[in-house]
Amino acid sequence: MSGLRNGLRRVATDRGDWAGIPMPLEGERLVVEPGYPNAALFAAMGGPTDEDRLPEDPVLVGAKVRNTFRSAKKRSHVHVFELASGRIEWGITPDIHGADKLLRTLGCSDAWGIEQEQAALQLLGTMVRHRQFKQYLLTGSFIETSARSGVTYLFRRLRPTVAMSVSKGRMRILCALCLHPIAYYAGSWAGAMCPTDDVVAHLALMRGDEPMLWRRSNQHPAWDSAAGLS
Amino acid sequence: MNGTVGVLNVGAGDTKLSFDKSNPAERIRAARIVKDMLRRGYALLIEVERDGRKVFTRATDFDEEVCEYIIADFDPLGLERQPETPEPPQPLVTLREETPHASQQETPPQEPPPPAPRRGRPPGKRVPAEGARAVAVARTAGG
Repeated sequence: MSGLRNGLRRVATDRGDWAGIPMPLEGERLVVEPGYPNAALFAAMGGPTDEDRLPEDPVLVGAKVRNTFRSAKKRSHVHVFELASGRIEWGITPDIHGADKLLRTLGCSDAWGIEQEQAALQLLGTMVRHRQFKQYLLTGSFIETSARSGVTYLFRRLRPTVAMSVSKGRMRILCALCLHPIAYYAGSWAGAMCPTDDVVAHLALMRGDEPMLWRRSNQHPAWDSAAGLS
Repeated sequence: MNGTVGVLNVGAGDTKLSFDKSNPAERIRAARIVKDMLRRGYALLIEVERDGRKVFTRATDFDEEVCEYIIADFDPLGLERQPETPEPPQPLVTLREETPHASQQETPPQEPPPPAPRRGRPPGKRVPAEGARAVAVARTAGG
C-alpha cells in the first residue's frame, strides 16, 4: 500500500489538494466531504460489490425510508419505511456489539502508514503537555478543559471526542463529537487520515474555534453506539 | 524563529510549510498555499500569545504581500479586557447660593456626543506569519 499511498501523495501535490487524496480500499465505502475535489468519484469507489449484496426482498422494491431513530430499549436502530403499496412498515438494525466495526477499522488501517502516524505524533507532542502526551501514548486518550466554555473534552484515538461538563458537582456527558477531515470509512472508526491526525484536528479546532468543532461534528448522545462509549 | 504551518495530510501525516525569510522561494510558495487553503475552506488555527498565555485562534484571511494572518479581533477569554473608566464623583449637596437663577444660567458648554457604536464585523488583527505556528485542518466529513 505504501507505493499507492506515495503515488497519491505526488498526485495530490501536483493538483493542489493540500490535505492529500483519500485512499480507496476494496470493500470499504468512503464518505467524503461533499465539497472535496472528485468527492462523488471517491464515494463510488470501494464499497460492497453487487456480488456481495444480499438479494433484495421483492416486498421492499420501491420502498422509501420515512424515518430512522435509535431505540435505547431495543438497543437497535428502528427504520420506518413506506412500501410501494403505501403501507407503512418498520424494521430494526440490531446494535448488540461493536465487533463488526472494530474488525472493519482493523482492515481500514491499511490506508495509513507508520511514517504518517509518527509525523502526527510528533506534531501532537508539540501541542500538549508532557502528562497529556504520556496518557495518550499509554491509553490512547487525554483530557483538556476549554478555558472559553468550561467544557471538558476527552480526546481519544479512533473514537469520537467526548464532551463533558460539571453540573451541580457532577460530571455529565453532553455528547460525543465525531469529525474526520476530508473523509472516513463507513461502518468503521477509521478516518481517511491516520488516527492521531484526527485527534490533532479535534484538539486544534477545540482550541482555535470551538463553535466550529461543534458545528462540523456529528453529535452522538452517550447512549448511542456511535459515541463509542458502550 | 521561522513561522510554520502544519498541514494535516492523508498521505504524509503532517506536511510543513515554512515562512523563512532567508528562503524567499519557499516563503512565496507557502504564502500561495495558505491563501489557497483558506479559499478552499480549510480552517487555519494560529497560535498567538495573549497576556503571557499561548492560545489558538482561527485565521479568517491571509495577506500574501506581507505574509500576515488576519484573525478575528475578539478576545473570547477576556484576557485583554480594559478596566472601566470610573465616572467623576458627583457633588452630594448643591448650596442655594450656588444655584443661579434660571434666567441667569449660562448654558454649559456641550460635550461632543459620543461616537456612534461601530457596526459590522470588528477589524481583524494581523499576526506576522514568520513568528507564528499554525495548524491547517481540511474541510471535514462528520463521522
